[in-house]
Amino acid sequence: MLKKWLLAAALATGLSGPAFAETVNILMEGVPDTEYVKTLLPEFTKETGIEVNLEVVNYAEMHTKLVPQLVAPKGSYSAIVVDFYWVGEFTKAGWLQPLDERIKADNFDTSVYVPKLMDLVGRVDGTTYMLPFYNYAMGLLYRKDLLADEKNKTDFKAKYGFDLDVPKTWDEYLKQVEFFTKDGINGVVNQGLRPDPIAMEWSNYLFANGGEYHDANWKATLNTEAGVKAVEQYATNVNKYGPIGSASFSFDEAFNVMAQGKAYSYITYNFFRAGIDDASKSAVVGKVEIMPVPGTEAGKGGSLNGAWGWAIPKSSPNADAAWKFLKWVESPAIAKKRALQGGSPTRTDVFDDAEVNAKYPYAKALKEMLLTSHNFPVFTYTPQLVEVLGRELSLAVAGEKKPAEALAAIETEMTELAKKDGKLK
Amino acid sequence: MASISLSNVHKFYPNGYAAVRDVSLDIKDGEFMILLGPSGCGKSTTLRMIAGLETISKGDLHIGGARMNDIDPADRDVAIVFQNYALYPHMTVIDNLSFGLRLRGVGRAVIDQRVANIADMLGIGELLSRKPAQLSGGQRQRVALGRALVREPKAFLLDEPLSNLDAKLRSAMRTELIKLHRTLGTTIVHVTHDQVEAMTMGERICIMKDGVIVQVGAPMEVYRNPVNTFVAGFLASPPMNLLRSRLSAQSLSLGDTVLALPPALGQAFAAHAEREVIAGMRPEDFHLKADAAASTAPVKVHAVTTEVLGPEVILVATVSGEQGAEIHIRCPRDFRAKPGEIVIFHYDVSQLQLFDPETTYALKRPVQI
Amino acid sequence: MTLAADDRRLNDLPRAEQTAVERRDRMFGWLIASPSLGLLFLVILFPVFWALYTSVHDYTLIAPNFDTFNGIDNYTKALGDPEFRHTLWLTAFFVAAVVLLEFALGFLVALMLNSVERFKAIYYAILLCPLLMNPVIVGLIWRMFLHPSLGIVNYLLSLVGIDPVNWLGSTKVALWTIVMVDIWHQVSFMIVLLLAGLSALPREPYEAARVDGASALRSFWHITVPLMLPVIAVTLLIRLIFAVKTYDLVYIMTRGGPGVATDLVSYFIYRTAFVGLNIGEASAMSAILLAVIMGLTVWLHRYMRSLT
Ligand SMILES: Nc1ncnc2c1ncn2[C@@H]1O[C@H](COP(=O)(O)OP(=O)(O)OP(=O)(O)O)[C@@H](O)[C@H]1O
Ligand SMILES: [Mg+2]
Repeated sequence: MLKKWLLAAALATGLSGPAFAETVNILMEGVPDTEYVKTLLPEFTKETGIEVNLEVVNYAEMHTKLVPQLVAPKGSYSAIVVDFYWVGEFTKAGWLQPLDERIKADNFDTSVYVPKLMDLVGRVDGTTYMLPFYNYAMGLLYRKDLLADEKNKTDFKAKYGFDLDVPKTWDEYLKQVEFFTKDGINGVVNQGLRPDPIAMEWSNYLFANGGEYHDANWKATLNTEAGVKAVEQYATNVNKYGPIGSASFSFDEAFNVMAQGKAYSYITYNFFRAGIDDASKSAVVGKVEIMPVPGTEAGKGGSLNGAWGWAIPKSSPNADAAWKFLKWVESPAIAKKRALQGGSPTRTDVFDDAEVNAKYPYAKALKEMLLTSHNFPVFTYTPQLVEVLGRELSLAVAGEKKPAEALAAIETEMTELAKKDGKLK
Repeated sequence: MASISLSNVHKFYPNGYAAVRDVSLDIKDGEFMILLGPSGCGKSTTLRMIAGLETISKGDLHIGGARMNDIDPADRDVAIVFQNYALYPHMTVIDNLSFGLRLRGVGRAVIDQRVANIADMLGIGELLSRKPAQLSGGQRQRVALGRALVREPKAFLLDEPLSNLDAKLRSAMRTELIKLHRTLGTTIVHVTHDQVEAMTMGERICIMKDGVIVQVGAPMEVYRNPVNTFVAGFLASPPMNLLRSRLSAQSLSLGDTVLALPPALGQAFAAHAEREVIAGMRPEDFHLKADAAASTAPVKVHAVTTEVLGPEVILVATVSGEQGAEIHIRCPRDFRAKPGEIVIFHYDVSQLQLFDPETTYALKRPVQI
Repeated sequence: MTLAADDRRLNDLPRAEQTAVERRDRMFGWLIASPSLGLLFLVILFPVFWALYTSVHDYTLIAPNFDTFNGIDNYTKALGDPEFRHTLWLTAFFVAAVVLLEFALGFLVALMLNSVERFKAIYYAILLCPLLMNPVIVGLIWRMFLHPSLGIVNYLLSLVGIDPVNWLGSTKVALWTIVMVDIWHQVSFMIVLLLAGLSALPREPYEAARVDGASALRSFWHITVPLMLPVIAVTLLIRLIFAVKTYDLVYIMTRGGPGVATDLVSYFIYRTAFVGLNIGEASAMSAILLAVIMGLTVWLHRYMRSLT
C-alpha cells in the first residue's frame, strides 16, 4: 500500500515537473578518489540534469554486491568501477558493455591514457570495456633525510664503495636496506599478509629482478633465476631487515611503521604518498619521498601497476546516462580537478599539467613509475592466482618451503588456471 | 551417640529476620526429642543449625560436649532427613543410600550389607535401581530416611520425615522408628507438627512458637500441664477448650454454671479470686455420668453438631449462658444429640487449668502427673 | 511448558477419542504453527538442499547454471585436495583447542560467579561486552593490540622484560594467537550458559552431600558435574558448531597465514566459492563439513546421554 502511494507520488511529481529526473547509480569503494568524485558531482547534475547516487562500501563487500546485480537481466547499477583483479572475470562472464562505439561517436580521446593502464583496466583483447579511473601502482617510499645525512654518506661509501644516493638499481636499493638496518630502525618494512599484500608487494621484487609472470603465450616464467632471487630477497627482507611481525602486516600496519619513522623504506601503493605528509598520521612529514621501484639497471622500473576502471554493465538500467557520466568524469577538466584534490591520475595530460605539478612535485615520479611499471596477469582467475601466490610466498617466507619449491607450485597452479581460462593452449 | 545442647542460640537470616531467638535446649545422649510447633516457628532452622547447614548467629551448640558452631557439617557426624527429601536426582536409590558411606571410605561389603538391611526395613527393596524422579512422594521420603539411617551417625535429625506417608504407612514407620531408636539408642531430634507423632514417639517434646521455645517436657507432662494457652490449644486434637470465665473463691462461673473447685485447687487459685480467667478444659474430661470419686460437677450445654469419628463422637456445643464460645466434648461412640438439644455433662473439676487472660500463662496449681 | 505437556496429552490420544474441542485445539495449533514451519523450511532447508544440489553440478560464478551434472566429482576433487584436508585437520585442532579451553575457563569463572552474591549484574554486563562485539571489530582491535612493535601487548610484556612476541607473523604462534583471541571473544558465551545452568541447580542435594561428608571438590564431581551434564553437552555442542564456522577472525587477522598456519576450513571454503568462483566444489566442501559436524553432534549427544 505504502509502496503504491510512493510510486504514485513519484509519478505525479515526475509528470508535473519540468523533466523526468534521471539518476545514475554507481557502486564505489570508500577510498579518497571516490571522495574527490563526490565533491564534483553537483557540477555534473547542473550541466546535465542527471542525478548521481554513489553507493559507497568497503572493498570486501564490493564483489559480493556487484555479482548479483551483474548477473541479473536488469541490475540496479548504471555504472560500476572495476578493480583490475576482476577485469578477466567480468569480461569473460560478459557482464560489461563494449564502449568502442560510444567512444567513436563522441570522439572521446583514449590515447591520452597511460598505455599500461589501458591494457590493465581499459581494453581486453582489442575491445574497450572500461575507462581507467585512478591508478594504484606501487612505488618505493624512502627516507630522503637518512640519505642526506653526512655520516650515513661516509659510512655507506666506506662499506660499499659507492655513493649513498637515491637508488638507481634494485641491487643498490637492497644494499641500502641492509645498511639502514641499524640504530633501532629497519631497512625496510614489508606487507607480508596473505594474499594480496604479499602477492602485490612481491610482484615488485619479481619485476625489479627482471622477471615476469608469463611469456607472450601465457607460459609461466616464475621458477627462474629472477623469480628465485625475488623470493629469497623478499624472505631476507622480512626476516632479517624488517621489523618483527612484518610477515603478517597488511599495508596499513606496514605504513604505520614507516610513518612512525621506524623504517627506511616501504614499497607500497602510491596513494600512501599523500598520507606520509599528513601530520596527524605521520611522524616523518617532509622526510619521505616516492620513486619508481628501481630495476635491474637505471631507467628500468620494477613497479607493479594497478588501477580501477569505469565500466557500464550490460545490466545497466540506463546506459546512456551512465556513459554521459563517464564522459564527464573522465573529461580533461574534471580529471584535472580530481588530481588537484590529491587523486591518482591515469591520463598523461593530467600528469603533465603545470598546476598539478606545482601542487604535487612528485607527480613526475608517479608518471615515470607508471610508464616503467609492469602489469599483473589479467585473466578470469586473477584473484585465484593472487590467492595461490599469497599462500606459497607466505610459506616460503615462513621457511616452510624453499623458494624454488614455492615457485614451482605457483607455476603448476597458474598453468592450470590459464588453461582453464583458455589463455594457455 | 551424643548429647546435643543449644545455649541461647539465635538465628538471624541475612534479610534480618530473627527465625530463632534465644533457644536453649539440652537433648540427652540417646534421647528421642520432638520439635513441635506451627509452620514457620523455626523448627527446620533449629535443626539445620544443629546439622551445620545454617550458621549460628548467636549462642553455642555442643554435640557430645564439643562446641560445634564452627565445625563443618561433614565432621559433626549427624545425619539429616530433609523436609523436601533432597535426594540426589541423578543417582539411583541404591547410590543415594550408599553415597555417604562411600564418601567415608566404608568397605564395599559393609555398604551392601547395611543398604540391604535398611532397604528391607523401609520396604524399598524393589526401588533400588530407580532414580528419585521415578518415585512417589512417600517412596522418596523413605529413601531419604534410609539415607540417614544407613550412615549410623551419632545423631539423627529428622525434619518431618513421615509427613508424606499415608496413614497406615505412617503408623508403621512410627513404630519402626521407635523400635530403631530402642535398638540403636541414637539421639534423635524429630521435627513434626503432627500431635500423634509428638505424643507417641518422643521421650520429650519441645514446643516452639515464633522462634522461641514455649515448653519442654515429657509428652504427658506437657499434655497435662500446658504452660500457656498456646500449648494448651496446640497439643492434642481436639485441643483443650479455652473459655472466658470468672474465678471466685472456691468456684468458677462459666455462663450459667458454677463449678465448685476442690479445696486443693481453690487454695492454689485463691490469689486470683474475683478475676476474669481463661478456663482450660480437656474434651475428654467431660463425662455423661457423675463420678463422686473424681469430683465431677454438672455442666449444661446446648448441642450444636456432632462429629462421628467411629471410635468416638465429638460433640460441638455451647455452654449454657455463654453463647459465644463453642466447646468440644469427647463422647462414647454411641452418643447422639440433635442440634439445640440440651445435654448435661459431668466435668472432672480436678483437671481444670486456669490461664491468665493477659499473659496467657497458666495460673499456678499443683502439678498433675 | 504447560502447552507442550497439553500437546503431548492430545497427541497421545487415539483420534477417535478426541473430543470436538480437542480437535479444534489441534487445528488451531497447526494453524498457529504453520507460518513458522513454512518459514523454517524456507530459511533452513531450502538453502541446504540448494547447496547439496549445487554440489553435484559444475556450477561456477562464471557459468552460474546447473547445465553440467558431475556426480561426485566435486567431492572427490575436494577430498583429493591436500590443502582442503590440511584446513580440515587444522580446523579440528582449532575447534578442540578453543572448545576445551573455553569450557575449562568458562566453567571455572561460572563456578566463581555462581557463588558471588553482590554485583552480579555488573559482572554479567562486563562479561557480555566481548560477546556483543562483531568478530570483525574484535579481529581489528586485537590486530592493533598485537602489533609486534606498536601494539600494547608487546609493550606491556616489555615492561616485565619479555622480548616482543611475533603474535601473527610466526607460524608457530599464529594459530595460538587466534585461539587466544577467540577465547577472549567467546568465553563469555560458555560462562553465561554454564552460569544459567549452575544457578538452576537445586540447592538441596548439596546440603545433603555436605552432611553426608562430601568436600567441595567431591560435591563438584559427584553432584555438580552429573547434574550439569545436559547443559554442558548443549554448551559444548553449540560452541563446537560455531567454532567450526570461525571465519571472520582469520579473515581479519591472518588471512590464513603465515604460510598456511591458520587456514581454517570455513575461510578456505569461502575462498573456493568467491575467489576460485567454484560454487559447486565449495558446496561439496560445505556438505562434507556438514556431515562431519552432524556426525560429531550425534556422537557427542549419545556420549553425553550415556553418561547421565
Ligand atoms: N533463608 C531464609 N531467609 C529468611 N527467612 C527465612 C529463611 N528460611 C526460613 N526463613 C523464615 O524463618 C522462619 C522459620 O522457618 P523454618 O523453615 O525454620 O520454619 P519451620 O518451623 O520449619 O516451618 P514448617 O513447619 O513450615 O517447615 C519462617 O518464618 C521462614 O519464613
Ligand atoms: Mg520446616
